[in-house]
Amino acid sequence: MKKYEIRYGAVGGQGIITAGALLVDIAVEMEDKFAIESPTYTAAVRGGPTKVDVIIADEKIDFPHATAIDFFLCTDQRPYDIYKQSLKDDAIVVLDSHLVRELGDTRHWKVYQVPIINETKVGAGNVVLTSVVSLAVTQKLTNIITYEHMLAHIKHWAPKGTVDMNIKAIEVGMNLIK
Amino acid sequence: MSQRKVLQGNIIVAKAALAAGCDFFAGYPITPSSEIAQYMSKEMPKMERTFIQMEDEIASLGACIGASLAGRKTLTATSGPGFSLMQEHVGMAVMAEVPVVIVNVMRGGPSTGMPTKPAQADMMQARWGTHGDHPIIALYPAFSDEIFSETVRAFNLAEKYWNPVILLLDEVLGKAHMDVEIPEPGSYEVYWEKTHEIKDLNIYDRNLGENPPRIDFFHGYPIHIDSLEHDAHGWPSFDAKTVDKMQKLRMQKIYQNLDDIIRYKEYFMDDAEVMVFSFGISARSALAAVKTAREQGIKAGLFQALTIWPFPRAALQERFKKTRKVLTVEMNMGQMKYEVERVAPCGVEKQTLLRANGMPFAPAEVLDAIKEFAK
Repeated sequence: MKKYEIRYGAVGGQGIITAGALLVDIAVEMEDKFAIESPTYTAAVRGGPTKVDVIIADEKIDFPHATAIDFFLCTDQRPYDIYKQSLKDDAIVVLDSHLVRELGDTRHWKVYQVPIINETKVGAGNVVLTSVVSLAVTQKLTNIITYEHMLAHIKHWAPKGTVDMNIKAIEVGMNLIK
Repeated sequence: MSQRKVLQGNIIVAKAALAAGCDFFAGYPITPSSEIAQYMSKEMPKMERTFIQMEDEIASLGACIGASLAGRKTLTATSGPGFSLMQEHVGMAVMAEVPVVIVNVMRGGPSTGMPTKPAQADMMQARWGTHGDHPIIALYPAFSDEIFSETVRAFNLAEKYWNPVILLLDEVLGKAHMDVEIPEPGSYEVYWEKTHEIKDLNIYDRNLGENPPRIDFFHGYPIHIDSLEHDAHGWPSFDAKTVDKMQKLRMQKIYQNLDDIIRYKEYFMDDAEVMVFSFGISARSALAAVKTAREQGIKAGLFQALTIWPFPRAALQERFKKTRKVLTVEMNMGQMKYEVERVAPCGVEKQTLLRANGMPFAPAEVLDAIKEFAK
């Protein structure tokens, strides 16, 4: 890996800023990589289309936005329509199977359609855990961070009384991808 | 050992300010700078330092000026609309020679503009936002380590030169979470002006190029600090000779110390045929573009200004002896390009890449401009 580019697309409130921040924390503080997370959002951040770019690299990062995306996870149609540009030809694309229905041309990507939001609600018990579920999906499909580091960091990061539900969210994320 | 961690750009500013000795913050939160005030409101009381949320931006800078005169190292943080409101007090701080650091995390303008989108369009406002002839210092970091070091330097320069110092930052970088090495205390300079006891009431009296001393005001002397033009006592005076002297004193404390104030970085400039002149987020795009250009055999280089005002005129002029093409890249409709044009001698070809729609330049766009220009 010289540079790996990840984009999360969602509507405001689905937790992708947290997912990106967690990923950057783990990459830098546990794996000694260089990383940056830059969110782009509108004034209508609650409910408006949002994207978060995460770049993880072996060397200092010049430009902080993704321009050749390796991995794209999106949980809503609107951000999918707006932010699916700049994906590499062999990009891994994870889409919420209930909330992203109009896919368009996906020939060049490896697409996974999974019920991220629904499984988070049902399996993990609370939709706020979408951030951690998304993180786990990212880990499983990209190996950009190790599972052990992710688990250790989430245990350390989770607010008091929420460690178990966050660990459950990791399981949900890992099981979403077969 | 320095600590390598992940921090938001705005939080790096706040931490650096505290490391530089900032012990007074007055501000009014505004996107995209609010995290600075938020962090300070949590951390400063724990350190027995003062945080005040004021009723607006004018009052915020006013409070900073007052606290600074009382011996504090002061900070306020805002964005374009708030920076507009602060301008009359920027002038007050220049006129009364009061150190204060003002962070402007820039967003799309004019007016309330685009709160969540980046722009580099307050460059001239930083220079000339307040009325009248006046010196100003404005710094503009681009990388995480620079956000820390330039914030500390902003405090040092304010304290050294008794002038407001403006720290410009991009919305993109203020909001981004990034890896950063926070240097160990002691490994960087933190400047403290010694406090002098008052010997006489001529508090502004000094030689050209010198700074007024930091004075301990609290000994019962009738000290006068005025936004009106004043004499050495600080009392209003419109006597032409006095005014002439005071104007020069304020200007020359900055312009006789440019070597200390001006900082810039050069990348691949030694044999560059095309120089990109840029700063902040656009300099990061430009650096990526210059690296790719080099891989493709194009002799491109980057001049990244860290000190925006005073403008790094001498350093650029030196570069123009060899490099005869300059491409100015900035997220506005053309501001610093005029400074580059003023500095560039006849025969230097000038080109620009400008945009103010809230979208930072992608490296590929800068690369295309370099290639086209290099032909």
